[in-house]
Amino acid sequence: MAANAIDQTRRMLSLVTYLRERPGARVADVARAFGITPDELISDLDVLPLCGTSFRGGDLLDIDTDGDRIWWRNPGALGADTAEPLRLAADEATALLVAARAVATLPGLREGDRLALLRATAKLEEAAGEAAGASSRLSVTFESEGGVFADVDRAISERRRLWIRYYSPARDQLSEREIDPIRLVSVGHTYVEAWCRRSEARRTFRLDRVAEIKILDEPSAPPEVELRDLSAGLVQPAAEDPEVVVEVGPGGRWVAEYYPHDSADELPDGGLRITLRTPDPASLRRLALRLGRDGHIVSPQDLTDSARRAAQEALAAYEGEQAEESVDGDGTAGA
Amino acid sequence: MAIAKAERLMNLALCLLGTRRPLSKRELRESIEAYVEAFGPGPGAPFGPGRSALSGPSTGSEDSFNRMFERDKDDLRELGLVIETVENLDGEVGYLARRDSNRLPPITLDAEEAAALGLAAKVWQQARLAGAASGALQKLRAAGLPEDVDPYESHGALEPHIPVHEASFEPLMLACRDRRPVVFDYRKATAARPEQRQVEPWALECWRGHWYLAGWDRDREAERVFRLSRITGKVRSRAGKFRAEVPDVVTVRETVASWAGERADGTALIRLRKGAGYPLRAKAVAARELGEGWDELEIPYGHGLDAWLVEFGPDVVVLEPAELRADVVDRLRAVAKA
Repeated sequence: MAANAIDQTRRMLSLVTYLRERPGARVADVARAFGITPDELISDLDVLPLCGTSFRGGDLLDIDTDGDRIWWRNPGALGADTAEPLRLAADEATALLVAARAVATLPGLREGDRLALLRATAKLEEAAGEAAGASSRLSVTFESEGGVFADVDRAISERRRLWIRYYSPARDQLSEREIDPIRLVSVGHTYVEAWCRRSEARRTFRLDRVAEIKILDEPSAPPEVELRDLSAGLVQPAAEDPEVVVEVGPGGRWVAEYYPHDSADELPDGGLRITLRTPDPASLRRLALRLGRDGHIVSPQDLTDSARRAAQEALAAYEGEQAEESVDGDGTAGA
Repeated sequence: MAIAKAERLMNLALCLLGTRRPLSKRELRESIEAYVEAFGPGPGAPFGPGRSALSGPSTGSEDSFNRMFERDKDDLRELGLVIETVENLDGEVGYLARRDSNRLPPITLDAEEAAALGLAAKVWQQARLAGAASGALQKLRAAGLPEDVDPYESHGALEPHIPVHEASFEPLMLACRDRRPVVFDYRKATAARPEQRQVEPWALECWRGHWYLAGWDRDREAERVFRLSRITGKVRSRAGKFRAEVPDVVTVRETVASWAGERADGTALIRLRKGAGYPLRAKAVAARELGEGWDELEIPYGHGLDAWLVEFGPDVVVLEPAELRADVVDRLRAVAKA
């Protein structure tokens, strides 16, 4: 809980400055301004009367609340300058500056928003002074397709339906669909979460896979759906999805970095045995082909077979054209 | 029940901020109830720092008080408090947090700028930086940041999140911040075993949702980029300063982009089945119809193209160059024989 105590201390220091200026402030308003729940605020207000510039001096803060309003009966207990706003710590400046700069890199962001971010960043850098120095040692880029982003953003704010031509890597196909956009989410790549009118279900579309987009005149009317917490990742396999087992050599360890999985067990050769779940195992044929001699699908057998057939069919095109010299491998592929 | 840490830290902060003259460790110990409760009133005589080897019944609690006091000061410094250590004429050490060095300079943000920072403050999920971002916003609120605008309202429905899944992120972030050398075990992409690396960490960068570290590799005596997900085990700090000079501009993304095959140094000619391979078409620099359901495409050729083309199975046939063609055939054979 050490981190919490630090966060709470930081918050209470700002709180005394804030409350000093606002006698009779409402609990709900203060909680909103501080981005905390009223309960968290009340627990801060329970601690503050036990604090002062000197316990022995009997100058504890007389801060009290009836659950609605907050009263500070002896604001003089802190000298006017003891309650002044505090400078930003290096981590605080870094956290805010890096995030603001990252959001400003989003291609397609409204110009007004980007300019506001840049102005705020510049002012913050100045106010933070040398505390801002370390913020250049951390940087984040969000990827997005600017034109698509701008259209989705506009459709959301004007509440209009979108038509998209969307590429599905799993099937290597483009499909057309109408969607009612709900929100834009950036986690490395940028996605639009929407109600898909073709499947009548909630779907997430990666913006760089949108081949074409049109804003329609029809109003967007997504059903009221509870928003999922997508911060942990967009791919959240369901427990009932079929299981796929992949074994990779050292050269295929990247699979564990790119595919959310249930387990990844070390193999004696430095490889991994990875168990993952997907609603559509056939979509992993691409992975089986890509792995080559760096790994193979252990199960389901159908998937192994379909990858092998695809490879054989592809080879036929080369072998049919010309008799080429043998570039046979050394047979180290773990089979 | 022991007095909560937040109460103890808050009292220490207010004492240090409220005083005009340096307060000795003894005075602080006697003024703050949490210290009195945990360690009793301090010994009668003033103690200099580092004199804990004195014998006597109070030595144990004296040591633990000193340790707690040092930790508490470090915690307050993490919150941004500048605490000065001053020695008086008697050689007694005193502490204070001067107003001048702790005051936030005036900053005026309009409603749009406030909304922008409100959005930025929600971007981190990583506990330490999420806490720091809210803390920064609260300090700005206390300084008068406008609060009547809901950032989500004004920014449409936009939710940027910075993903941090790697345990090595926080120690490396702190090491970059404080310019401390580190040592960690690192497994290269294709290596069977991890290897120990001694690194002077310069900067961290997140690209396409993955974190990378750029720094000076002491054993290789060269700049290197590491992917955080390949760091195994703990990141440990090393004593001492950086030996190599930190460059003004550290470029992580260019290095990583070349690993990812983003940098092309030529073009390749492929045959692609109609209707298939949209991403290849999107990248093509030239295309023509061949008839019988096939197109011919000229696409950028960089590292990793062979692995990507194989994914399309029988829908792609490489025509040129011969080297790429051989790589693709080699990969296909490995799968065909499995």
